[in-house]
Formats: sequence, C-alpha cells, structure tokens
Amino acid sequence: MTWRRKPPGILKRLNCMAETQTATIITFVVYVLATFVLAGFSHKLLSKKSFLGEYFLGSRGLGSWALAFTFAATSSSGGSFTGFPSLIYSYGWVLALWIASYMVFPICTMGILGKRINQVARKTGAITIPDVLRDRFNSTPLALVATCAIIFFTTCNLVAQFKAGALIIEETFNLPPAWGYEVGLLLFAGTVIFYTAYGGFRAVVWTDVMQGVVMGIGIAILLPIVIWKGGGLAEINKLNRTRPPTLVTAIPGDDYNDLVLRARGDPYPAGLDYHRSSQADTPLTLSWAPGDDIESAVIEVFLGTDSEGNVTSTGNDVKKAIEEHPQLKQLVDVEYPFENNEIQMDADGNRVELGATGRILLAGGKETESFAFLRGDEALFGPGRNHKGDPFLPLGLMLSFFFMWAITGMGQPGTMVRLMAFKESRTLKRAILTVTVYYGFIYLPLVFIFVAARNMLPQLTAEHSDKAMVLVSTRVVAEMGLGFQILGAIFIAAPFAAVMSTVDSFLLLISSGIVRDVYQRTINPRVSERTMKHLSYTVTVVIGIVVMLLATYPPAFLQRIIVFTGGGFASSFLCPMLLGLYWRGMTASGALSSMIGGFVIIVTLFAPSLFGASRIDILGMHPIIWGLTGSFTLGIVVSKLTGPAPDSLIQRYFYRPKSRP
Amino acid sequence: MADNAPSAPEDLELDPVYLHTRREATFILVLWICCFCYTTTYCYLNGYLSHEAHRNPTGPAIGAVLGDLETMNRDLESLSTPLGLGIPDWVFYGIVIPWALCILITFWFCFFYYVEDDLEAEATGDPETAELHG
Repeated sequence: MTWRRKPPGILKRLNCMAETQTATIITFVVYVLATFVLAGFSHKLLSKKSFLGEYFLGSRGLGSWALAFTFAATSSSGGSFTGFPSLIYSYGWVLALWIASYMVFPICTMGILGKRINQVARKTGAITIPDVLRDRFNSTPLALVATCAIIFFTTCNLVAQFKAGALIIEETFNLPPAWGYEVGLLLFAGTVIFYTAYGGFRAVVWTDVMQGVVMGIGIAILLPIVIWKGGGLAEINKLNRTRPPTLVTAIPGDDYNDLVLRARGDPYPAGLDYHRSSQADTPLTLSWAPGDDIESAVIEVFLGTDSEGNVTSTGNDVKKAIEEHPQLKQLVDVEYPFENNEIQMDADGNRVELGATGRILLAGGKETESFAFLRGDEALFGPGRNHKGDPFLPLGLMLSFFFMWAITGMGQPGTMVRLMAFKESRTLKRAILTVTVYYGFIYLPLVFIFVAARNMLPQLTAEHSDKAMVLVSTRVVAEMGLGFQILGAIFIAAPFAAVMSTVDSFLLLISSGIVRDVYQRTINPRVSERTMKHLSYTVTVVIGIVVMLLATYPPAFLQRIIVFTGGGFASSFLCPMLLGLYWRGMTASGALSSMIGGFVIIVTLFAPSLFGASRIDILGMHPIIWGLTGSFTLGIVVSKLTGPAPDSLIQRYFYRPKSRP
Repeated sequence: MADNAPSAPEDLELDPVYLHTRREATFILVLWICCFCYTTTYCYLNGYLSHEAHRNPTGPAIGAVLGDLETMNRDLESLSTPLGLGIPDWVFYGIVIPWALCILITFWFCFFYYVEDDLEAEATGDPETAELHG
C-alpha cells in the first residue's frame, strides 16, 4: 500500500467555511447527538444485567430488526459508501459485476453459519469468536492465535475506516486542507470511541439500526434525484459514449501536481510518459513523434532537473509545455483535476489560481511513469481500465470477486459475532429476508447513482476519487436549492453511518479479544466483574486512540485495505469455523494450521503491495482464492493426520441424548 | 466429507439442529454455485469489450486457458438497454434479473425450507456461566 499523507496546504481555498451549508451541519450534529442518546440508554442497561455478556454480546437478545440492521450496517463499511462509489466513478457499469455476488450475500453469510454458530455459542456460553473456537476444539493456543489475527486485521481495517470518517467530515464542513483532515479525524474518533466505549454492544446495535435506516433512506432518495438530474440512465449512457478520451496523471509529490488531458477529437495519443533524467541541470522537454499512427504514439515528457539532479518540473510546467507545443495543442486540452488547482488570495483579496504547483516526483525512484487515455464508452462495458491502462476486472479477478463477497463474507468475525447474539431461529429467518431486500435496494442503486453522477462531478484523481460520494451530496444535490440541502445532509450521513457502524463493531471486536480471550480466559479466570468492567472501558478507549494516531498517516486507497482485511479474516477464520461447526473430523491441530496457513498465505501475497508493487495474483486470481484454498487444504489434511477428534467434544457439539419413543 | 470421528454411543443421536443447518447450508451453497456459473459466464461473454488473456504481472493468467474469444468482444453499436431502463443489456440479463430471482428464492427458502429450531433447548443460560477451559 502507498502510505501518503495529505500534503499540508499553505494556501487558502475557494468555497471555504463560508459556503458550508447550515442545514448540513445541523443534520450532522443532530445525528451525532442521537448516537450519544442511544449510548446513554444502553449504558443504563449495562448496570441492570450481567456486565460482560451485555457489554460484548447484548445478552444474546437481538430481535429480527436489530439483527438485520446491525448485520447489514456492519457489513456495509466505509468501503461501501466511499471506496465502492469511487470505483464506480472510475470504471462505470463493470462494478455491477464486481459486486454481483451480493445477490446471494445475505443468505450465504447468515444462512450457512447463523443458526449453528448461535447454537454452539449457547452451549458453551461463548461471547466472542475465539471463545467459540476455544470451546469447540478445547484449545487455548487456537483462541490466542485467533485473537492475534483479529487484532491485526481489525487494526488495519480501522485505520482505513477512520480515514474515511475523517474525509467525510473534512469535505462536509469544507475544512481547509491545512488542518481539515486532522480535525475531521479528531471529531470522528471522539464521537465513535465515546459511544462505543460508553454503551457497549447494545449501543452499537441500536446505532447500527439507526444508521442502517439512514443509509437506506439516503440511497432511496439519492437514486431518483441523481438519475433525474442526469436526464435518465439512457441519456447518461449516451453522454458516456461521447465523453472525450481522458488521461489523468496520478503522481505522488510534495504538493498538487496532477493534470487532466482531454482529447480534442479523433485520433488522439495512446498515452503520456513521464521520464526522470539521470543528469543534472536539464530543462523540461517534450517529445512527440507520432509518424503516421497517432493512436499508438505516446507523449514523452522528460522532466527538468536542478544542479543536483533533483526534479524541478511541476504540473504547471508540463501543462505550459503541452499548450505551447505546435502539434499537441491541437490534439489535447490540459486542465487541473479536483483539488489540484490551488487558489491563493493576493494582497488585494483577489483570487489567484496557481494551478498544479507541486514537483513531479516519480514514486519509488522509478525512471518512467506511464499513463493512458481512457475512452468514455469503456465505462459501459467490462473489463474497465485504470489510469495506467491496465484492465480493472479481467477474468481471473472477476471470478475471484464473485467468490469473494459471498463466501468470504461468512468468515468475518465482526458479522459472525452478531450471529451469536440473536434470540431465536425465527429471528434469523426474518433477518435474512430483511437484509436480502435491503441489499437489493442498496448496492445496485449505488451503481446506478454513481454511473449517473460521473458526468456531473469534477475530474478526480485516483487519490481523490474516494470523495465521490460526498461530492455527489454536497455539489450535485445540495446545489439544487434549500430543500435539497437537507437531503444532501442525509446523504452525507449515510456513508458516515456506514463507517461508524463498522468502526464501532470492530472496536468492540478488538477489546473483547483482549479483555475476554486474553485476560479473563487465559491470564486471570478469577477476575472480578468490577475489574472487567473498568478494563473493558479502558481497552476500548485506548484501542480507539491508537487507531486514531495511526490514521494520521492513512493509506491511499481505502478499498484496497478493506479487501485485504476482508480476505485476511476469511482465510484465517472461515475454515476453522465452518468445518468446526459441520465436520466431526476437524481437530484442534487442523483448525490451528488452517488459521495460521490462511493468515500466512494472504499476508505473503499482499506483502508486495505494502511496498508499492503489485500484489501477487497467481494465475490472475485474487489472493483470497489461494488463502482459502490453502486454509481448507491444511485444515482437512492436518485433521486427517491428527484425528480422530476427542469423543467428548464430538458428542457435545454434534449429538444429543436419544429422545424416548 | 468422510468423518474421522469415532462413532457415538447408542444412547446418543445426531443433533437435529445440526442436521437441519447442514441441509440448509447445502441448499445455499448450490444456489451460490448456480449464480456464480450463470452470472460470471453470461457477463464475461456478453459484457466485455476485450477478451484478451490479460497480462498478469506475476505469471500467466487464467484467461489464457479459454483461448481466443475475440469474436465475443462487444462493440458500442451492439449495446441495447432492455425495457428502456437505460441499464446495459449485459448488466440487465446477467445481474439485475438473477438478483431479482435470488430475492424470490430467498423468500421461498425462508418460508418453506428453513426449519425454526429450538435453540434454547440446550442453552446453558447466561454467557458468563460458561466453563472456563485452558
């Protein structure tokens, strides 16, 4: 992953605080206050019931609506309302295929494990996922490894979610770039840590229900408005067809340096290459020699250097060079993408556009960086292409993602623990139905909305495309008038709700792992309830603060982190849990090796992406496929080698006394 | 999958909740497989501009085993939007229709296939009364 901190801007920006919509702020504040009220009610219940079971599992009393919405809201993370819209904005209709396995997501994720995991958890009194595994296999090492895996993946995910929350606040309140992200992060973290630590599981579930409703209402209203404003999907598709081929550079640097090149007609160049010179004191030069075939020719830009060989060329320099080139100025127009047109106020208070003033520093010391022109009609079909020209969803990844959502969705501890908390099997049935309908009205409409919004939004770079959802709310809808400002505020609350509902669940997941699985069940089984109470509050707050500090240096692409952690959870937990619940031959050694094997495979295949390279897709398939394959293979083979499983465990979890005739 | 667990004593029988959930899980997996096969095949053959065996930076890609599918490449002129909804044909038939069917099948599953088992029958009550292993 590329760790890139938002550059500290030193310039003022247009549309700063003065333009922030009052309605948005009021709606936002009311929404946050409502979560505090729910936390307060939940806290009262904590004093009336057994603390640990109530704080971490709501005393196993969730009803249908609560289960459905807490499950849906927890599964719909910041990725659903920031990363997913950003991908739709970038690639278009192919995202419908990317997300298609959500058609069976609720029935798979709730129906396969739900009733059985609830039953087993009841038998043992388990409160956490490591609890279930520890009891099912009578293995403390397995529980501790499970807790470590939960802490690792959850922390990675939380950092990405905190970034999403901070970005939403920054954009909503139009905070200045110099400190907007940090203040947004502080507000988001303060809110979510407070109500999660204070109210525990039940507060999280109640806020999830509220957030789930807000998300649903947000989408239901957003869909017709955006499509109507775009003139209908058919008209929008026509616009996409005729959209000029566009190239967006995406170069990390010390300030704004990205550019947008739009083709003025047909033919147009294939792409643009930045070259870093190894020599000192070289000027910026352009090379353009298409010969007879413009469509396969590339604009070559050789960046200028100073006396020490450091790059001195900025985005502005490249723009000027292209605009002054006799042939290129006939072929392309050069513009600034969103947030790359810096604005400064001069001494007389006039707005002065400075443009892309940042130097163009090629990532990782590369000598060359290439970019491709993308046609508008590519958004109507697969496989989609990124700004480098690489396919977004080739066959291997298309198969992998259909596999991923529904199957890996089963292996997420954050959702598994909710399946341990419902009251009776009828509750589960109603919840499956509710989530099925709910997701049907969330995910496909999101594709429609952001395909429609593509042509209404400013041109975003890959780094800023995570802001697509917020921009639709603040710039497309709220601009329609006073009444729509309130709707805009609700739409912003939807992704904010999605992020909060995932963060609160994950915070409890980590703290329950530390307090229950590590401390109470491994270190000090005789600990008093009073100590557990204080420990639970403290650990939840400390974890929240640690994640907030990590999020001050956030990852660049939210969706990448979310996919990594989702795959990591599934590779580590799905096999031990699924086979543990359904296969009598599964042994503790088999479960442990499948968990460790899955963890190692997924981290190994993703490791190169931590250092800026591509992750390892063996045969073009996503690492999750190999993580699960390895995990299940190890689980089965090692269980066969170390079996049979102890009689006492098999009889306890798979049999019951014969009923008398 | 064959068990390597010992056989149970004669005074025990397989837990009906386990049997019901196993039957339901099997149905769900079959449903997932059907959706997987239909949607991915239909959309890949009808919704892709290019069927090149896209290069994979870390080795060969699975698309290579399918051979030449260039004749299946879509072009802009062939695009239609069924029922005038503005949804591209390959999305409509490959994703929207099966999605709607899945919602109906889920309703059928919940009302006619799913067994409302009594989970309280063997519950031990308060979560904190659990035995503490290890």
